[in-house]
Amino acid sequence: MSYIIASDLNQALQILRDSKGQARVIAGATDLFLQTLPAELVDLAGLYETTQLEETGGLLSIGSAVTHASAARSLLIRSQAAALAEACAMIGSPQVRNIGTIGGNVANAAPAADAAVALVALGAKAVITDIAGQTRVEAVEELYAGYNRSTIDSSSEIIGRLLFKSCAAGEGSAFMRFAPRRALALPLVNAAARVRVSGRRIEAVRLVAAPVKPAPTRLFETEALLQEVIPGPEIWPKVEEAAAAEVEVRGSMLRCSEQYRRHLVGTLAGRVLKEAYQRACAAEGGET
Amino acid sequence: MWGKKQEQNRSERNISGCGSYQSPEVWAKVTGKAVYGIDLEFPGMLYGKILRSPHPHARIKGIDLSAARAIPGVRAVLSAQDVHCNPYGIVVDDEMPLAVDRVRYIGDEVAVVAAVDQKTAERAMAAIKVEYEPLPAVFNPVGALDEQAPQLHEDFPGNVAWERDLIRGDPDTAFREADLVVEDSFSMPSVHPAYLEPIACVAVSEYGNGVTLHTALQSPDLVRDIISRALNLSSSLVRVIGPVMGGGFGGRVFGNLKLYILSSLLSMHTGFPVKMQLTREEEFTVGRPMIAAEINLKMALRRDGTILARESEIITDNGAYSAQAPWVSKTFSERNDSVYRIPNIKTRARLAYTNKVPTAQYRAYGNQSANFACESLMDQAAKRLNMDPLELRLKNCTQAGDTTVHGLEIKSCALTKCLQRAASEIGWDQRKSGRGYGISSGIHANGSLVANKNFRGASARVTLELDGRVNVFTGEQDYGQGAHAAFACIAGRVLGLEPDQITVYSRDSLVTPFSQGALAMRQTTIGGRAVQVAAQELQKAIIQKASEISGEPVSLENGLLKNASGRLIELTEVATGYHHQTSGLNLVGEGKYVPPASDYDETSYGNISVAYSFAAHAAEVEIDKKTGAITVHRIVAVHDSGHIVNLLTSRGQVYGGVTQGLGMGCYEGYLFEGGRVANSSLADYRIPTALDVPAIDQVFIETEDPEGPFGSKGLGEIVMVPVLGAIGNAVADAAGVPVTALPLTAEKVYQAMSGGECSK
Repeated sequence: MSYIIASDLNQALQILRDSKGQARVIAGATDLFLQTLPAELVDLAGLYETTQLEETGGLLSIGSAVTHASAARSLLIRSQAAALAEACAMIGSPQVRNIGTIGGNVANAAPAADAAVALVALGAKAVITDIAGQTRVEAVEELYAGYNRSTIDSSSEIIGRLLFKSCAAGEGSAFMRFAPRRALALPLVNAAARVRVSGRRIEAVRLVAAPVKPAPTRLFETEALLQEVIPGPEIWPKVEEAAAAEVEVRGSMLRCSEQYRRHLVGTLAGRVLKEAYQRACAAEGGET
Repeated sequence: MWGKKQEQNRSERNISGCGSYQSPEVWAKVTGKAVYGIDLEFPGMLYGKILRSPHPHARIKGIDLSAARAIPGVRAVLSAQDVHCNPYGIVVDDEMPLAVDRVRYIGDEVAVVAAVDQKTAERAMAAIKVEYEPLPAVFNPVGALDEQAPQLHEDFPGNVAWERDLIRGDPDTAFREADLVVEDSFSMPSVHPAYLEPIACVAVSEYGNGVTLHTALQSPDLVRDIISRALNLSSSLVRVIGPVMGGGFGGRVFGNLKLYILSSLLSMHTGFPVKMQLTREEEFTVGRPMIAAEINLKMALRRDGTILARESEIITDNGAYSAQAPWVSKTFSERNDSVYRIPNIKTRARLAYTNKVPTAQYRAYGNQSANFACESLMDQAAKRLNMDPLELRLKNCTQAGDTTVHGLEIKSCALTKCLQRAASEIGWDQRKSGRGYGISSGIHANGSLVANKNFRGASARVTLELDGRVNVFTGEQDYGQGAHAAFACIAGRVLGLEPDQITVYSRDSLVTPFSQGALAMRQTTIGGRAVQVAAQELQKAIIQKASEISGEPVSLENGLLKNASGRLIELTEVATGYHHQTSGLNLVGEGKYVPPASDYDETSYGNISVAYSFAAHAAEVEIDKKTGAITVHRIVAVHDSGHIVNLLTSRGQVYGGVTQGLGMGCYEGYLFEGGRVANSSLADYRIPTALDVPAIDQVFIETEDPEGPFGSKGLGEIVMVPVLGAIGNAVADAAGVPVTALPLTAEKVYQAMSGGECSK
């Protein structure tokens, strides 16, 4: 087995080119190390390009090798993308968060990966470069080929960074998860929302829940309920009901029943939307 | 009661100053220097692996070992035909080291391999060919008792591994004359102690017959006897030496007998040391978790809250072989009857063989899971009587001087004070709205006659070394609970020495006195009393020898030897004097503690233990009404374990036991798909993490027990008993409806609240 710590993105791509499909990119590898390891590994975790975190022109750029721990404590992410900070703070355990990366969380393609769920709610896109030197930009929710299968070929493609608009005035986001214990447990359900308001009226809303489908899933019908609405107390039970009705979920012996998971999707959808809405209103300067 | 101030008084009172003593072994553990079974390496050591049945129930039609034997590096491949062993077991002899003609659960041991490394052993396993004829299997204990069910053992018709029909007093009349009868059904899944170190051992065959087994056990001497019986070896030719134990919690009283016997067989067969260890998955699938149980419970009361009778119908799940399940079922079925004054009892308990993992015990031996049911019914009765649950308990709780319904003689008991203190600490009279509160009582025996009526006590040997230090030799095992520290405190207190001047050694069956070991909460009370007596014997020997040397009477006080003329005599002077005089002997105190004669009859009525510890726990919880999620905010644990020998380790015991009770209460439990364990990893079998543990307040109410050393009683298991009842009742209080199946998951609470008759 060879393990190469690349010095920059170009070198990493060169190694992938040379290895002709034998090498695989890793960044953190907290999931990969539980599986059979490939013969060659190219570690991206220390690269300058993949560990930067910056905001330019209202666009947040998060390097794919930014760890969950650094995202969770970043003031920039906490203020401009609260849902992502909240998601990253709840992944695994401190050890996992210190090593696991946001790009890895996306590329591993688990259906209820906390960071990925937050990223989809925030509207994030991944910037992916392949060994031919081509770069494409794709929405995170488009990167799922099936359960635990990514469309990204990690023997020939690298996620360099993730991009989304930072939450400006009148915008707020939130993430919540429901798990059987407070650490080291897969969520029964997780959900995230991003809301934009104008004069307390909801102008734009993105609501995501998982595990519903292979990818973090937008709940469009529930979102529609809130469009152009000034939410009052009567709306939240309707939102919960709509979200629960909108999803197809599965039950499992190890997690919970299908019926309970559906109920949790509704409850968490209501809670993240309400929280994101209140944050949006606060960011607008109004009282909530 | 121990607050800061009392702690100070205590250290003034204790001449040895061992109010809070930590033994050196703890530092070896936290600095990573301790050597566990899993770390052991011997020159020429081979690795053993077990081929296990993939079927829950099947006949073995043929085994072909030839391909496995032909693999280079493979030193032995054995099936039942190749070994000559006796059936063995703990309560009944229903196991063989390797399946003879039939497998009875997924994981049953079929063949065993020894090879030069793990990989080769695994390759050899894959090369073994076994032909099976699957048989119908039964997984549900109720179904297993059905006449039509597949039969597991010829010697146990009807799949009944053990049963008990018991009547004390006149329960039928009591139920007829009661003002109130409450009834409910409860279920508890199988649970695993989930100690951090999976069981590992190295067997070393000795020249001229015999075997030395290196493995960490709570009861090495009992295991030695079982191994020697199974292998037809003279018992003194089997030696058990223990490395440091990575947790036991009852699971390592007998550990994994199969592993010890098979590694011994492989070592005797090859002549090389053979190491075997369980994977975490094997711990769950072929270890010995505690029995699952279903119980229907009825209680009769008078209008004023006096308990008249209790009736229970119990079915426990044995799995494929019995291990300790009959004894655990017995404790489950009766121990909670003695925490209150219940004059009439009716019990029908049956333990059913099923095609699942064999079962044993976990800290508190089933007493804790039954507490969940019994204490829930207490609260249900209080509600129906419109009575405060605390008042109902205070009205009925057992008192010192009582002989309980099963014949337990209670010589010391502060249960009333424990309940009152638990209530005042949790704020029972100022219960906050939006929170749920629960309280529960528990009793647990200190040692038990049930395993062996004729062996009730313990012995110890205490020696004065030439450097003036003292060594304690005991068969009682320290597996993290602090037995060594307690013994150092006890011997130190007798001899007037600091505990760190005393070394406690317990881990070699050839050297240390025979003992029943760390089971039934007997270490401090029974083992500790033997250490006390042995230390007193040594004290006498020292005084006598010193008097001889100085030619005048000598006194030993506070560790100082003084003769009548006031001259100080060093302990080293006495030790060396005796050593020279006898050409090498050390001054020794040998002590035994044989508890007062007691017995029990064929219905098991009698005083089965030397002492009984009591406790009351109270819990404060909060429930997310929308999801059913439980937050346990606080648990108050008030204990009567007599005089506290070592405050530091006692606190640790309470903290750990309450945490494990929380695990059983809210998180843990085996899940089966057919006969397969569905959650055989620590990712899916969820024990609480540090973030899940609430504030745990610990209070000790000290009584003076006449039997234990300096009036002390056991603590190690009682800590886990009332916590389940307290959490269950707090959840019921918050949810407005009892949840009767463990573990209390959010989903179950949510379902109970949405389907329950009443919601708060």
